[in-house]
Formats: sequence, structure tokens, C-alpha cells
Amino acid sequence: MIIINGVEIITESKRTPLYDSHIALGAKMVDFAGFIMPVQYESIIKEHVAVRNNAGIFDISHMGEFLLEGEDIFPFLQYIMINDLKLLEPSKGQYSCMCYENGTVVDDLVYYEETPQKFRMIVNASNVEKDFKWLNSHIRDWDVKITDLSKQRARIALQGPKADDLLQTIVDTDLSNIDRFYFKHCKLNGLPIFIARTGYTGEKGFELSMENQHALTIWKTLMELGAKPAGLGARDSLRLEASYSLYGHEINDKITPIEAGLFWLVKPKEGIDYIGKDVLLEQKSKGTKRILVGLTLIDRGIIRQDYKIYKDGNEIGYVTSGGFSPTLQKTIGLGLIDARFKEINTEVQIEIRDKLLKGLVTSTPFYRNV
Amino acid sequence: MDYNLREDVKYAASHEWVRVKGDIGIVGITSYAQHQLGDIVFIELPNVGLVFEKGSNVAEIESVKAVGDLIMPVSGEIIEVNKTLEGTPELINSSPFEEGWILKIKMNHSEELGTLLSVQEYKKIIESEGH
Repeated sequence: MIIINGVEIITESKRTPLYDSHIALGAKMVDFAGFIMPVQYESIIKEHVAVRNNAGIFDISHMGEFLLEGEDIFPFLQYIMINDLKLLEPSKGQYSCMCYENGTVVDDLVYYEETPQKFRMIVNASNVEKDFKWLNSHIRDWDVKITDLSKQRARIALQGPKADDLLQTIVDTDLSNIDRFYFKHCKLNGLPIFIARTGYTGEKGFELSMENQHALTIWKTLMELGAKPAGLGARDSLRLEASYSLYGHEINDKITPIEAGLFWLVKPKEGIDYIGKDVLLEQKSKGTKRILVGLTLIDRGIIRQDYKIYKDGNEIGYVTSGGFSPTLQKTIGLGLIDARFKEINTEVQIEIRDKLLKGLVTSTPFYRNV
Repeated sequence: MDYNLREDVKYAASHEWVRVKGDIGIVGITSYAQHQLGDIVFIELPNVGLVFEKGSNVAEIESVKAVGDLIMPVSGEIIEVNKTLEGTPELINSSPFEEGWILKIKMNHSEELGTLLSVQEYKKIIESEGH
């Protein structure tokens, strides 16, 4: 709430069902994609380390959740997604992008096949409305109905090497039977829950979806079992170490998945037309002028989004994400640069407050343990 | 929240503190400022011998999420910097008023000290900033 001249202005930022817990834990709250979210509780680094060494929980209820129902989900998604639905089966999820005709990205997302007639889709918080419209505008005469469940359901990511042991004590299913990217509907202390073995940290772990009314109970239960609440700050530093793309940084409506290095995501899908296919397959075979690379800073400093990258005095690109890596104890980043300079160990210069600091093109991911 | 502010230093509204000993001032950022920045991972220190005016930007303090400026609370010449912070910048988080000091300056306009704030005055500023 903001008070101006004695008049209360209610901000439009939405609260997740876990808001009260964040406040009680003393979190530093920020506006993010229309939600008021915890950026950190006590320390980003401590939360980051807890996820790498033990287990952390993230409120990801700001993300969008859609339910797709109908007889024609398969042809519909084959047309709108760049990944190949033929690789999917019931109880499995798939990471993909949906693109514009020019190959740039509408959003990156994960969908889960419950049955051939029922899919669950998780999308970026900042793109919920855009995605809902985009999907609906391409249904044509296919039998597909899309319901936005974002406001009825809450989502929690449980991530870290101890995630399995911790969650196993409270669910009625054998988690070792859920492989990476598979999911199961089961009960957590009697409460219905969707458990997927997916994540955005580079650690083992799960993403959970539940009805709003059960979110706080489940969150507190996980905390009591030793999972440390972690905010958006740690979520960002963890995903940067793992080199996962973040919409608005590595991918957006001006960058294609090929430029962002997501080559494996662009599938030939012979005989099937999909949006962006021509551009993306051509880029995949011929290469692109720009390419995303990993960066390590040799000089001391911190690199951040939009800092310019130079080679021998010529500007060759910019930093898409950067920061301090708590695991590697050095400054890392991702940058979109002229592809002629993409070779590992190419020395580049990054401009930080009018100074040029030395950096190296580095292989990615910087760190993953999955 | 009182942020463990100290009585023995003077404050600037831009969240620095100065501990005055004769014409020497020791400068750091306040416990409130380090809390706002979060985990500090890097500091860019100025060269010894440089002279800075009150109000000029003299050092950059980078946390995981943000960049903060160290503003000169009074004018003076840099006579020492806390080199320990180059290896362990987190001292600014853990001990902002002691081990996390940043600069030692020789003040050349001691009358500027009168523009600095007492702990009570500074408390009012951070209370108006928060919430």
C-alpha cells in the first residue's frame, strides 16, 4: 500500500497464498511481474548454498498454470511448439519454446501430458496473459480448450540434493519411480498434490503444484523438515550457474532459441508445419550472426545485464545476465555476441562504469548437479 | 528495527558514517545500508592520494543483486583504504562499523562536519525510507 497525501493507493501487485509466511519470515519483498515476491529472506548467498548443499523451497506461485483439454492437443501443440511432442508420453513433461514466425520467442515453458486429451502447462509469470492469448488465437478448428488455473493453484519448487529424502517422508508414492521430467499426482500428508521432477537450479528436485488452500500447510511442512525458504535472488543466481535461459534476458521477442544456444530444442518434425520452423531450421543448419556464450571475468568486478562487450575496441555484444557465483566464487555471466568470437577462451572486454575489464568466453553450464 | 546504529559516529543522509579523530575521518557504510544492499561481493576502492569533494562518488559497492555508491560524506584526501575488503567484502555486512570500514581520509574542510547527522537524526531518515 502506498499513501500519497493521506489517500491510500492500493497497488495492483498480487499476493501469492504464501505471502503471509514471507512477511513473517522477514523477507525483503519486491514487485515482480505484477506480484509482490520475496527476493531474499536473510541472505541470497546462504539461500543459494542451502539449495546446493541441502534443500531449499521457492514460492513460484507467480508463474502461470494452464490446463489444456480436448481431442486435438497433439496437433495443436505440434503446430505452436518448437520441440517435438512425439517425444512425450503420458506422465511426462517437456521443455519447449513457442516462437513467432521470425523465430523469436513468445515464451519458454514446460507442459505435462496427463492424458492425450489433458495437458498441464507452466509458463513465465511475466507472460501469462500474452501466452493465454497467443495459445487461444491459434486454436483454429481444433478441439482444444484452455483454462487459466494460475489464480486457483499455488506452486512451490523444492530443490537440492536432499529434496528426495525430505519429500519422501511425507508423500504416498515412491519418488524413485519418478524420472527426470516425469510427474505424478499423489498425496502429501493426505493433501492432493502434483509432483514433477523438474527444476531451475541445476540441482535435483521437484516442482509442486497444489490448490491454493493447501499451499501454506505444505510450505510450512517442508520448512519444518529442513528445507530453507529461498527467494528470487537465489533462484536467479542458481539458474545463472546452471546456465538456464531466463525470458527477458537470454530469450525474448528479439532473440531466437538458436541464437540463445538452445539448438537441441529446435526439432525437424518432418511433415509437420510449426510456427517459426523455416527460420529456425535454417539458423540451425547455417548458424547465426549472434550467439549466446558463457563469460567469466578475469579482472575483479561484477558484470550485469546490458553491459557492453568489446573485442579489440569494437563492440561485439552485450551481457544478458551476470553476477557473482557463490558456488564458483567468481563473476560469471551470459552474453549475446558476434558469433565470430564464440570460441572458448576468447578474451573479450566488458565495460563496467567506463572501464574495460578482461573476460573470457567460457563453456556452459558453469555448474550443474542433475 | 534499530539496525545496531552507533553513537560514536556521525552520519550522512546517503548512509555513510564518519568516525572523527582530529582531522582524520574513517568512513564506512551504515548497518542499514549494508542490510539494504544484501550480501556484498565486491568493492571497487579509490586510489590513495586522490582528493574528493563532499558528495562525490568515491567507491562502488556491489552486492549479489544491487550496486551501491559510496558518497564522500565530507571532502578530503584518501590516505588509506581497507585492502582487506578486496578479499573479504562481506566484512561490510558482518561488521559495518568496525572491520568493514572503507576509507581513511584527511579532511580539508572540517566545517563540513557540521552538516552531518547525529544517530537520532539519521534514525529518522531511515524510518522515513522504510515502509
